[in-house]
Amino acid sequence: MTPLRRHRALTRIWASDPGWKGWFTTVNHTDLGRMFMFTAMIFFVVGGILAMLIRAQLATPRSAFMGPEVYAQVFTMHGTIMMFLFAIPLIEGIAIYLLPKMLGARDLAFPRLTAFGYWCYVFGGSMLLFAMLTGLAPDSGWFLYPPLSSTLGSPGINSDFWLIGITFVEISAICAAVEITVTILRFRAPGMSLDKMPIFAWYMLVVALMILTGFPPLILGSVLLELERAFGWPFFQVAEGGDSLLWQHLFWLFGHPEVYIIFLPAAGIISTVLPVMARTTLMGYGWVVAAAVALGVLSFGIWVHHMFTTGIPHMALAFFSAASTLVAVPTAVQIFAWIGTIWKGKPQLKLPMLWILAFFATFVIGGLTGVMLAVVPFNWQAHDTHFVVAHLHYVLIGGFVFPVLAGLYYWLPHLTGRRRFFRLGEPAFWLVFVGFHVTFLAMHWVGLLGQRRRTFTYEHGQGWEAINLISSIGGFITAIGFALVLIDIAINALVTLRGRRNPWGAGTLEWAMPKPVPAYNFASLPPVRGREPLYDDPGLDLRIARGEGYLGDPGDGRRKTLVVDIASGRPEQVVVFPSNTALPIVMALVTGVAFLGVLIKAFWLVPLAVLGVAALAFRWVWSLGTRTDEGLLDAGHGLSLPLASASTRPPGWWGTAFLLVANATFFASLLFGYAFLWTVAPNWPPPAYLEPGLAGPALGLAGIVLAPLGLRLAERLLRAGHAMTPGLAIALTGAAATASAGVLAVLASADPQGHAYDAIVRVIAGYVLIHVVLAAAMSVYLAARRSAGFVSPDRYGEVRIVRLWTDYAAITALLGLAALHLPGALT
Amino acid sequence: MRDVLRVFGPFSVWFACFSAVYGLHGLVCSERWSAAGLSLWDGRLALLAACIAAVSIQVGVALMLRAPRLAASSGFTQSVSLWLGWAAVVATLWSLFPVVVTSTCT
Ligand code: HEM
Ligand SMILES: [Cu+2]
Repeated sequence: MTPLRRHRALTRIWASDPGWKGWFTTVNHTDLGRMFMFTAMIFFVVGGILAMLIRAQLATPRSAFMGPEVYAQVFTMHGTIMMFLFAIPLIEGIAIYLLPKMLGARDLAFPRLTAFGYWCYVFGGSMLLFAMLTGLAPDSGWFLYPPLSSTLGSPGINSDFWLIGITFVEISAICAAVEITVTILRFRAPGMSLDKMPIFAWYMLVVALMILTGFPPLILGSVLLELERAFGWPFFQVAEGGDSLLWQHLFWLFGHPEVYIIFLPAAGIISTVLPVMARTTLMGYGWVVAAAVALGVLSFGIWVHHMFTTGIPHMALAFFSAASTLVAVPTAVQIFAWIGTIWKGKPQLKLPMLWILAFFATFVIGGLTGVMLAVVPFNWQAHDTHFVVAHLHYVLIGGFVFPVLAGLYYWLPHLTGRRRFFRLGEPAFWLVFVGFHVTFLAMHWVGLLGQRRRTFTYEHGQGWEAINLISSIGGFITAIGFALVLIDIAINALVTLRGRRNPWGAGTLEWAMPKPVPAYNFASLPPVRGREPLYDDPGLDLRIARGEGYLGDPGDGRRKTLVVDIASGRPEQVVVFPSNTALPIVMALVTGVAFLGVLIKAFWLVPLAVLGVAALAFRWVWSLGTRTDEGLLDAGHGLSLPLASASTRPPGWWGTAFLLVANATFFASLLFGYAFLWTVAPNWPPPAYLEPGLAGPALGLAGIVLAPLGLRLAERLLRAGHAMTPGLAIALTGAAATASAGVLAVLASADPQGHAYDAIVRVIAGYVLIHVVLAAAMSVYLAARRSAGFVSPDRYGEVRIVRLWTDYAAITALLGLAALHLPGALT
Repeated sequence: MRDVLRVFGPFSVWFACFSAVYGLHGLVCSERWSAAGLSLWDGRLALLAACIAAVSIQVGVALMLRAPRLAASSGFTQSVSLWLGWAAVVATLWSLFPVVVTSTCT
C-alpha cells in the first residue's frame, strides 16, 4: 500500500463529519484541543477587557466611571474568568491537542469524554457570560467568601451563577484529568517506557493527578454553599453551628494547588521548548521529574498560608510558613536545570525564546514577592493590598501567560501547518513585556503605600494618583500588545505559506507527522527507543508514513491504537475507539439542564435531567465492547494482541479508578468538613446527636458485606460459564440493605435548617445513598450486558469495573455510617 | 503502576502526616481537648509524639523504597523515587519543627 493510499484509507476512518455538523459530533482530540484553545482565548479577551475597565476606574481618584456594585462584579468576573475559564481550559486544550501526538498514540483514551468535557466548559462558561451581560454577575471576589457570598451578604442570584457555572466547568476539568492520566499511563508508542516519556507528559501527569485531588474540595464547598443558599442548610453560618472558615479551608485546599496546576504545565512547556531553542537536550531530566512531582504534592500542604490573617495560633502559622518556603527548593531545581540547559547549548533568540526569557525575568520577581508574603509579619501588613495583586499577576502572567505564548509560537507551525511570515510578534512582545512591568511594578508600590485591593476608588492627596495613572497607562500598553499577539497568530494561521514538517529541528514525536495534521496522527505507530525519537532516527517520519510501524494496516475500518504496559511501554492490547457522535453534546446539554434547575430554583427539573443523563450514559457505555470473542488481532511486526475491551482491566477500568480517586477526595473533604465543624465551630455540640439504634448499623453492615461478595460470586459464576444472577441478586440485596440504613439516618436526623450537624448528616447519608444506588444500577446493567452477549466467560472486564464501584460504595458507606453514628454512640 | 506509586508515594505520605499533625494541633487547641480533661502540656506531648511518628514513618518509607521486593522496573524510576524518599524526610523535619519552637495555641 502506498503512503498516499494509506493516508486516504485512514482519513476515511478517522475524519470528523464534514461541514458544520462536524463541530458538534467530533470526538477527535486535534479538533477538540483546538476548540478548547480557541474558546479559552475568547475568554482571555473578555477577561482582558474587564481588566481594562478596572484600570480605567483606578486611573484617577474619585472616578465616576463605575460605582461600587459594578466594580465588584467586574473584578470578580475578571478573576473568575482568568482562572477558571481561561487558564485551566487553555492548559487542557494544549494537553488534549499535544499529548497523543507526543506520546505516539492516535487519540486520547476516551474520545467522547473529551467532547463531553468541552461542551460542559462551553455551557458553564456561557452561564457566567450571561450573568455578566445581564448585570447579575457574581460580586464577592474570585474566592467567594461567605458570609459575603451567602444569602446573608448576597441575597440575589449572583453568587448562584458562580457556584453553578464553575462547578459545571469543573466537571470538564475532571473529565480532562481522568483522560490525560489514563492516556499518559497507557496510550503510548511501543517501547516508550516511563523514562523515555517526553518531559511534558511527566508534567501533565502530575497536573492531571493534581486536578483529580485538588478540584473536589472546591466542588464540595460549592455544593455545600449552594445547599445553604437554596435550602438554608447552615454550613457556613456561625449562629447555627456552621463556620465560614470552613469555606476558606475548602477553597484554598483547592486554590493553592490550583496555582501550581496553572504553573506546572507552563514549566512543562519551558522544559520542552527551551532545549530545542538552545539546540540541545534538557539537562537533568530525572531531577526535573522529581522536582515536578515534589512541587505538585507539596503544593497541597500549604493552603493555610492564604489564611494567615484569620487569627490562627502561632504554631499553625509556623507550620504553613515553613511548608510554603519548601516549594522554593523544587522550583529552584527546575530553574537551575533550565539555566544549565541554556549553558550547555547554543541558544538562539527566536520568538519563543524571547517569551521564555521574559518568563525568567518576571517569574523570579514574582517568586521573590511570594517568599516575602510567606513571611507572616510581612503578610499581615500586605494582606489584601495591591501588593498582593501585583504579586499574583507576576506569577500568573510571568509564570503562565508568557510560557504559554512561548509554546503557542513554538507549536504554531504545527497547529496551522504554515510558516510564520508576518513579524508582528516581535513588536507585540516588547509592548507586552514593557507594559506589563510598568503596570505591576507600580502596583507593588501603591500596595505598600496602603491601597487596598477590591476597592472601587481612593481619595485625592494620598500620594497614589501618579502611580495609579502610570499603572493604568502600562495596562493599556500591555493590552495593545496582547491584541497584537492575537492578530499576529490569526493572520499567520490564515494567510501564509505552507511550512516544513519539523521547522525547529525538534526531537519529539509530534513533529513526525505531515502538516496539516491528519485526523489519525500516525499512519503507523512508531517504535520508540529514546527520549527524542526524531534525533535517534532522522528518517522516522517517512517510515511511519510508509506504514513500517505498528497498526499500519487500515484493515477493517475501525479506529485502532495501542495500549501499553505502564512502566515498560510494551504493547499489550489493541483498543478500538468509538466514532463520531452527538452524544457528548446532548449529554452536556441535559447535564446543563440539571444545573439550570438548581440555578433558577426549578427543582423539579433536576430529577428529570438526572434521569435523562442516566439514560444517555446507558447508551454511551452500551456501544462499547464486542459481542464475540475476537481472539488475537494482528498489530504489525508479527505482533498479535487481544482487544482491550476483552482484557480484565480495560481502559474503562483505569478511567474508573482515577475517577474514584477524585471521588474519594470529595468524600474525604466532606469528612474533613464534618470533623472541622465538630472541633472548632463555636456552636457545637448540636442539640442532639443521631441515636444510632440497632437497625441502622446492622442493616448497613450487612449490606456493606453482601454487595462486594455478591459481585465476586457473580464473576466466579460467569467465568465458570454459569448465569450471574445469584451473585447479582446478592449484590442488589446488599445495596438495598445499605440504602435503608442511609434512609433511616436521614429520617432520624433533625431539621437540617436548624443546625449544621443535621445538615451535614444529610449530606453524608445522601452521598452514601447516591453511590449505593449507582452501584446497584450498574449490577442491573451488567445483567443486561450478559444477556446481550457483551459479557462472556472470556470478556469480564466490565464485571471488574462494576466491582470497583461496588467496593467503593461499600467502603464509603462504612466510613459514612461510622461518621454518622459514632458521636451519638460515644455520648 | 508500582513505578508510579513509588514516585508519587513519598510526598503523598508527607502530606498525609503533615495534615494529620495539623489536625491534631487543631484538636489540641479546641474546646474538645479541655472538655476531655486534657491540658496544654498533654497537647504538646501528643504533638511531639505525632511528629516522631511522622518522621519515623517517613524514614520507613525511604528505607522501604530500597527493598528489592518493591524495586522499580527501571533504574530511572528507582533513583527518582529514592531521591524523593529522602527529600520527603527533610521536608517532614523542616515543616514540623514548629512543634518544638513555638507556643502551642496562642
Ligand atoms: C493586562 C492584563 C491584566 C491587568 C491589567 C489586570 C489587572 C488587575 C487588577 C487591577 C486587579 C485588582 C482589582 C482589585 O482588586 O481592585 C486584578 C485582579 C485579579 N486578576 Fe488581573 N489583570 C490582568 C491579567 C490577568 C490574568 C492573565 C490573570 C490570570 C491568569 C489575572 C487574574 C486575576 C485575579 C485572580 C485577580 C483577583 C480578583 C479578585 O480580587 O477577586 N489577571 N487584575
Ligand atoms: Cu497559595
